Amino acid sequence: MASDSSKKTLSRRQFLKVGAAAATTAATLPATVASATTKQSIHYAMVIDTRRCIGCHACSVACKTEFEVPLGESRSWVEYVEKGIFPNVRRSFLPRLCNHCDEPDCVDVCPTGATYKIASNGIVDITKDICIGCGYCIQACPYGARFLNPETGTADKCNFCLHRVSEGLVPSCVNTCQGRARIFGDINDPDSEISRVLATNAVSVLRPEMGTKPNVFYIDADHTDERDAERYNTYVRIDTHRRQKRRV
Amino acid sequence: MINRRAFLKLGAISAATGLVTGSILSQARELPHQGGRGFSPTTGQRRRSVPSTCYQCVTRCPNIIYTENDRVVKVEGQPNSIRTEGVMCAKGQGAVNQVNDPDRVLYPMRRVGKRGEGKWKRVSWDEALDELAGRLKTLRDAGTPEKFMFQYGRMKASTSKLVKSVFLGTYGTGTIGNHTSICEGGKWTAHELTWGGHYDNWDFDNTRYVLNFGSNVFEAHTNHIPTSPRLVRAMAERGVKLVTFDVRLSNTAAKSDEWVPVKPGTDLAVILAMCNVVMREDLYEGPGEAFLKFVKVTRRHDATLEEKIVALKEHFAEYTPEWAEQQSGVPAVTIQRIAREFATTHPACLMTYRGAVAHYNGNEAERAAQTLAAITGNIDNPGGRCKAVGAGWSYPHGPKNKPKSRKLKIIDGPPGLAAVPTHHMSHYVMKMIKDGSWGRPDVYMTYKYTPIYANGEVAENVEILKDESLIPFYVNINPFYDESAALADLILPEPTFLERWDWEDMVSPVQIPEYYIRQPAVKPLGETRDFGDVVCDLAERMGMPLGFKSKEEFVRLSCEMTPDVKAVGGFEYMKKNGVYHVPGSKPLYYSYTKEIPAGKYVADGVIYDEDTGVYWNWKKAHHHSESEARAKGYAHTKKAFKAYVGQRIGDKVYQGFKPDALNKSGYFELYSNILEEKGHKPRPTWMAIPEHEKMGPNDLYMTTYKVGVQIHSRSANCKYLTEIYHDNPAWINPKDADKRGISDGDAIRVKSPIGEVETKARLTEAIRPGVIAISHHCGHWQYGRYASGNKSPSGVDTDPDTKRIWWQEEGRDGKGVHPNWIIANAPDPINGQQRWMDTVVQISKV
Repeated sequence: MASDSSKKTLSRRQFLKVGAAAATTAATLPATVASATTKQSIHYAMVIDTRRCIGCHACSVACKTEFEVPLGESRSWVEYVEKGIFPNVRRSFLPRLCNHCDEPDCVDVCPTGATYKIASNGIVDITKDICIGCGYCIQACPYGARFLNPETGTADKCNFCLHRVSEGLVPSCVNTCQGRARIFGDINDPDSEISRVLATNAVSVLRPEMGTKPNVFYIDADHTDERDAERYNTYVRIDTHRRQKRRV
Repeated sequence: MINRRAFLKLGAISAATGLVTGSILSQARELPHQGGRGFSPTTGQRRRSVPSTCYQCVTRCPNIIYTENDRVVKVEGQPNSIRTEGVMCAKGQGAVNQVNDPDRVLYPMRRVGKRGEGKWKRVSWDEALDELAGRLKTLRDAGTPEKFMFQYGRMKASTSKLVKSVFLGTYGTGTIGNHTSICEGGKWTAHELTWGGHYDNWDFDNTRYVLNFGSNVFEAHTNHIPTSPRLVRAMAERGVKLVTFDVRLSNTAAKSDEWVPVKPGTDLAVILAMCNVVMREDLYEGPGEAFLKFVKVTRRHDATLEEKIVALKEHFAEYTPEWAEQQSGVPAVTIQRIAREFATTHPACLMTYRGAVAHYNGNEAERAAQTLAAITGNIDNPGGRCKAVGAGWSYPHGPKNKPKSRKLKIIDGPPGLAAVPTHHMSHYVMKMIKDGSWGRPDVYMTYKYTPIYANGEVAENVEILKDESLIPFYVNINPFYDESAALADLILPEPTFLERWDWEDMVSPVQIPEYYIRQPAVKPLGETRDFGDVVCDLAERMGMPLGFKSKEEFVRLSCEMTPDVKAVGGFEYMKKNGVYHVPGSKPLYYSYTKEIPAGKYVADGVIYDEDTGVYWNWKKAHHHSESEARAKGYAHTKKAFKAYVGQRIGDKVYQGFKPDALNKSGYFELYSNILEEKGHKPRPTWMAIPEHEKMGPNDLYMTTYKVGVQIHSRSANCKYLTEIYHDNPAWINPKDADKRGISDGDAIRVKSPIGEVETKARLTEAIRPGVIAISHHCGHWQYGRYASGNKSPSGVDTDPDTKRIWWQEEGRDGKGVHPNWIIANAPDPINGQQRWMDTVVQISKV
């Protein structure tokens, strides 16, 4: 699922660099990424390595506080998938956020152009001044990532912490992640940590059949949904940990 | 193929990331300064940042607090902390909600009307403190300072020293209660019996295998963030195996390589059987055998290695894996396999927590765990179970001439109920007050402690605290109007931890001490005043000045008195940077192997005790003469451990496992003469749980647990946390539910010997059949709108989210139930630990 630019194989030297990059803390972006925000060739994306996710919700709460997201709504959340029959039962964790799709349905349906994809970096953002709160985008998003903000009356969702990223900081969820499960960066830069991780791991995206080409990639994601309970005659329970109880 | 140059590079990188097994990594990890910047998402303006310290839980992680227009808007981890490496949990992130909570107590309040009626009068601080000082002065001047009882929940480091040692010490009361027995005090007693001090650090950075009995380290632990991310890293980057024994699939169990659903209260049996395997199969050979030199296995302290091995083999012979299978439901082959893995993958780390220790047999479970770690050579070594290392602050001790303190004997439970309750029996304080045989306090004061909600038997707690004939005057110091504050006579408003000063010292995961401070990010809200400042004021009013005027001054003086901190600039350095550790410090392992120079044990007052092999100073032990000391002996002299000098082993004297609370020897004691003299088994021994022995066919075990987004009882007002976790239906296996005609989501009644509660059923395969689990955190009836739906007396309506508490709306999730209504206050007979996990219940559909 990695973009073309990151598909090329890594040399050994680059592979060693991966280790070095992983060793540094993820609190800030590498200088190359930060300075590149002014160029036109950036393609921001996120990898979530669920093997390192322990379902702690630090990302969800960091996001709530960063944006003072009103109760009942979420830009970032963590779903739990519990399945199996005792004692062979597992629980896995699936952090969720806007996928910043390459072909976003939300942008297509917006009547005012308020929802748009930032040409210089690929982030899908909302210009609040011209959003009329019609809710088309909320219906259109196949991931349930959007909501109508009761404070502003406009559509709202994750914007990869654009205000932080443009200052050279990683998004708030990445900054706080206990397991360092989230890797954020520019997949057009073959030397970026995210490009290397994408090139050396099998990844998946959510609902690829929708054709939206998401930019949030998962390592080892559990895509089980409730329908699998019947299909495989087993127990499946999904907790979304938000007001919207049904997983979208 | 990797060429040599690349290979060398790989080695260098591996050393930095922790890939090389057995290397000591903490030296290599010096983090660049990267934090401290935050920006407003609406204006893009840079936010003001203050390096401070979290206090959501006792882990106390260094943080950075961001403000906009004097309002706290965001909290992040402190990237320069060697403990946390800059990450922060959900609870820490939710700290924003503590300071901005719309239901805070904003000014002193005096009860009018009946106790608990909820009628209050706003009073000035002068009025409140004059009354309080008057009452305390009267007690002191009458020679009965012990009738002032102080009991605390969240109080550590500088606040503890200032309030307990300095203020209460100067005043003269020793009637000081804590809350440790409802946490994990029993685990600490077991540590004090075995290796002297308390607290174990799990060295995940250097370990190769982790065996976990009843710790939910990925969600809740007293050193959560310093340990949990390190365990994730060890597993993800080095393939370290994690095996978890738990009755339910906690998130820790879920992320483990192997989850072993053990029968409640039988971890002890499994651990004993693992010791059996290690001894029977000679797996102690190697590091375990080498460590035995420092281990006391027999009543005599000078047994030979051969005698020790024979004694261990004999002791554990009866605890076969087959026997343990009968007790625990864990197959013998599984026990045997895991024991072999643990013993042969060195270094390996043994974790335990409340799942194993909050039982009738918890003391023995922890002593058995210490034994298993000891005989495999995994004690205080890189990658093993290590003795805790924290910052050693110096601080002002206040007036020199303190009175000899007097105390009511109500903090350790009735005499004999627990053999060695070194961390007291806080869950018995209410019962002791009710009984009255050992006296009652005239003034009962609680600091960040909720006796009502935090202990078992809630109904009895309410009844006692409401009764003015039992407790004439109750003062509650609290940022929030919780269930206990609602029953107070006087509430003194405390700021939240984002508005106050402290120095901090929590345990370091890298065995290098970290100094750090807490400083206010904003001015204390309303009329709230740090209790540290309040006691300085109270002391002045009682004519016993402490020598400083405020907590800030206390912290500043401590910074200037502490050599490591002073050397880099003292208070000013700490205010600017928040954290400090001495660069290049070597991690502290194997401290017990330190030899004591002859000058220390051939010295004035120091004598050798034949019975224990301990050198001790009889003068420091307050004996009148050497002959008196020799006649009484080290073991039987009151608090002789304070006079411990060293342990003779062979022809050398070592620091050993220095005693800290009990008169044990300097050996790692697997054989406890102390317990033997108290009528308990000297070596870790199986103890069946009485309630579990007589369970009927319809009975279920009830256990409790904590989740990753809530603190035990002090976070339900945090709206972002409670939005995620607000309801706690009882986990029940579908097999048990089917038998009772219960479906998922059904209302059920849970009945224990002391009462019943109604809740909902959550049918899940993630729990062992025969067990139900109900979490803590929920079911509040005070504490503010997000927690309970009830506005506090000084609540404000400035937060629009108070209109959006969707989970409290009709037909939604609700606010859950508090399990403590049906859990009895009952102690471990050895250490007094509250037995949270032993309750037997029946359930039925409502």
